[in-house]
Amino acid sequence: MKAAAPRTRRGRRSYWPQYLAISPFFVIFGVFGLFPVLFSLYLAFHRWNGLGEMEFVGLDQFRFLVEDSTFWLALRNTFAIWFMSTVPTLCLALVIAAMLNSAVRFTSVYRIAYFVPNITSLVAVAIFFGAVFSTNFGLVNAFLQAVGLPAAEWLTDPLGMKIAVASVMTWQWTGYNAIIYLAGMQAIPSDLYEAAKVDGAGPVQTFFRITVPMLRPIILFTVIVSTVNGLQSFTESQVLFGSNTTLNPNTGGPGQGALTMVLYFYHQAFDNRDFGYGAAIAWAVFLVIVLFAVINWRLVQRRASE
Amino acid sequence: MELSRRRMLRLGMFGVAGMAMGGTTACSTSASGGSGGDKAMDLWYWADGLSKKVVDEAVTRFTEVELRPQQIGGNFKEKLVTTMSSGGTFIPDITGIKGEDFASFTPQADRFHNLLELGADKLADQYLPWKWKKGMTKDGKLIGFPIDIGPTANFYRRDVFAKAGLPSEPDKVAAQMSTWDDYFAAGVELKKAVPNTFIVSEAWAVYNVAVGQAGARYVDENERFIGDQDHIRKAWDLAVRATQLGINAKTKAGTPDWNAGLAGGTLASLTGASWVAVDIQSAAKDTTGKWGVAAGPGGTANIGGSFLAIPKECQKPDVAFKIISWILSPENQARGFTDSALFPSTPATYTMPALTSPSEFLGGQIPTQVLGPAAQKIPVQYESPNDQAVSAPFAIELGNIEASGKDPNTAWADAVAEAKRVGQRLGVK
Repeated sequence: MKAAAPRTRRGRRSYWPQYLAISPFFVIFGVFGLFPVLFSLYLAFHRWNGLGEMEFVGLDQFRFLVEDSTFWLALRNTFAIWFMSTVPTLCLALVIAAMLNSAVRFTSVYRIAYFVPNITSLVAVAIFFGAVFSTNFGLVNAFLQAVGLPAAEWLTDPLGMKIAVASVMTWQWTGYNAIIYLAGMQAIPSDLYEAAKVDGAGPVQTFFRITVPMLRPIILFTVIVSTVNGLQSFTESQVLFGSNTTLNPNTGGPGQGALTMVLYFYHQAFDNRDFGYGAAIAWAVFLVIVLFAVINWRLVQRRASE
Repeated sequence: MELSRRRMLRLGMFGVAGMAMGGTTACSTSASGGSGGDKAMDLWYWADGLSKKVVDEAVTRFTEVELRPQQIGGNFKEKLVTTMSSGGTFIPDITGIKGEDFASFTPQADRFHNLLELGADKLADQYLPWKWKKGMTKDGKLIGFPIDIGPTANFYRRDVFAKAGLPSEPDKVAAQMSTWDDYFAAGVELKKAVPNTFIVSEAWAVYNVAVGQAGARYVDENERFIGDQDHIRKAWDLAVRATQLGINAKTKAGTPDWNAGLAGGTLASLTGASWVAVDIQSAAKDTTGKWGVAAGPGGTANIGGSFLAIPKECQKPDVAFKIISWILSPENQARGFTDSALFPSTPATYTMPALTSPSEFLGGQIPTQVLGPAAQKIPVQYESPNDQAVSAPFAIELGNIEASGKDPNTAWADAVAEAKRVGQRLGVK
């Protein structure tokens, strides 16, 4: 090893070890994050099948997108699925967190049990739910018939399909959100509860009057995270309704009832090899999420100023 | 302090370098690389896309190169397109292309070797003419060498047909159900005799086969949209009629309900390609011996069936061609049938022992007696690179009729309008 560089040298150049140390993130982000983002913007103004020449088409892809009824259907589906999954997920998570918080025995066992769905392979989960919701031989219909209700076509009826997709998402994300709520609950000072007890409040009253208001910032956080996740849902629909027929895969099942925005993007780009249009859809998804983020942010702002 | 920080940094740098190297080695093992010297020749295919035994034998047989076969999992087309568009050394020297994806590669025919220039013209008469033509571009270059084909037929449950008073022997089934009309009539009888039992699994199963029986598809050779014409409308009307007659089970292929229907006998017939027999077998193992295969209604169509191609980056195309023409010779196609249920594209193979032995699953029947003649009657169709994208609206609207009872005429108008719009974006006139 040669002598170390003189300590007297100052200036930006002497910081190279620090820059080097943080460079892996920026290099990887640049190659796998920034470049694809910029390239997809470039692609959105072209027609390209992945192999041939790129053809500049100006705003044609976006013009087509605005008039594309399938895209608007996908947008509506995405919102419906997002709503049908987020509301039950967060409500259930709150209740479960409250129960976990008051559990006396085996607390870690319960916590792990509720978190396991979140780290289970989504493909395996979706295949399992496909069997659970199957029309003639599924668990759900067997149960409905056992209690005297008519069976439903969960995987072919547009509404049923959305319920199936939403329940996969609910199953997967409830535990995750419950753990976050639980962390929030444990930060609530216990003297508040004690004071409530002294005043004669029951568990239900305590939950609505103390736990929920104290958790408000955390609830907002989970709403935002669920929104970002929900608007990008893809795998659930893809696996449940991918259909292994060789033609037209990934169109979102019967009546396109489970076609989400990201699935539509995937279908155009990677099944139809229409990368230009796929990129245009991806940017539309981006705009929708930005719009939502702004709405969320405004809500948070208002809450904070109240 | 100073020293230990330095050591930390150095370790960090090694870490980065190690990661980079790990990255490259991972690439060259998983995606195959050009790092194996000049002799290396990479062959990409998917599980059961070729007989693995034949491929393994090719490795030891062609020692002038180092043949490195790789089964690529997942979305094969996506991986091939990505690799080819990135260029460079990772592009395979020989690659499989699935039948349904093949047309979309023809505009980039210059990215592949013209096999006719490598001596393929001498082998042409060994292969089915329509399949051979499918591997060609409009201007007569051969870029895809035929692997297998998918001739369609009527796979049906002997026991369920018999229970309904329908014929159960293949010859009689074929005779009574030679047209779609007769087939549907049998379906009505079947449902009447055995409640909740269907002859049609889904509208798409009828429609897709009927389109394949026509002389043309959605786009003609001048890239003009013809999907609104009679040959498509006829197929559409058939699928709609099956649904209106109530003989359509509306069960998507590959779903748990489909599997259960095949096993339980409520799906009594499938008008699918030869490979459907494999799907049935894995879905309904307990029904061995209860199935039969008869010539399908309305003639035959081809569904699926793949090709091997040699990308331009291949340095020794003559050796590569020698290898693929050996792997896909009539003798080795017989092994492909035995090992991976690939129905041969070489008629000479149909009389070989591998294809003339009875199938236990099909009640001791020799399936080639039905599928062999069917294979030779498949019409030549021009398939546009945009065919798949343009056909999607038809599949979707048929699904709408099934799922929500959409008015068939409205659905047809919507499908045509949407197909035209999609086509226009892709350059179809």
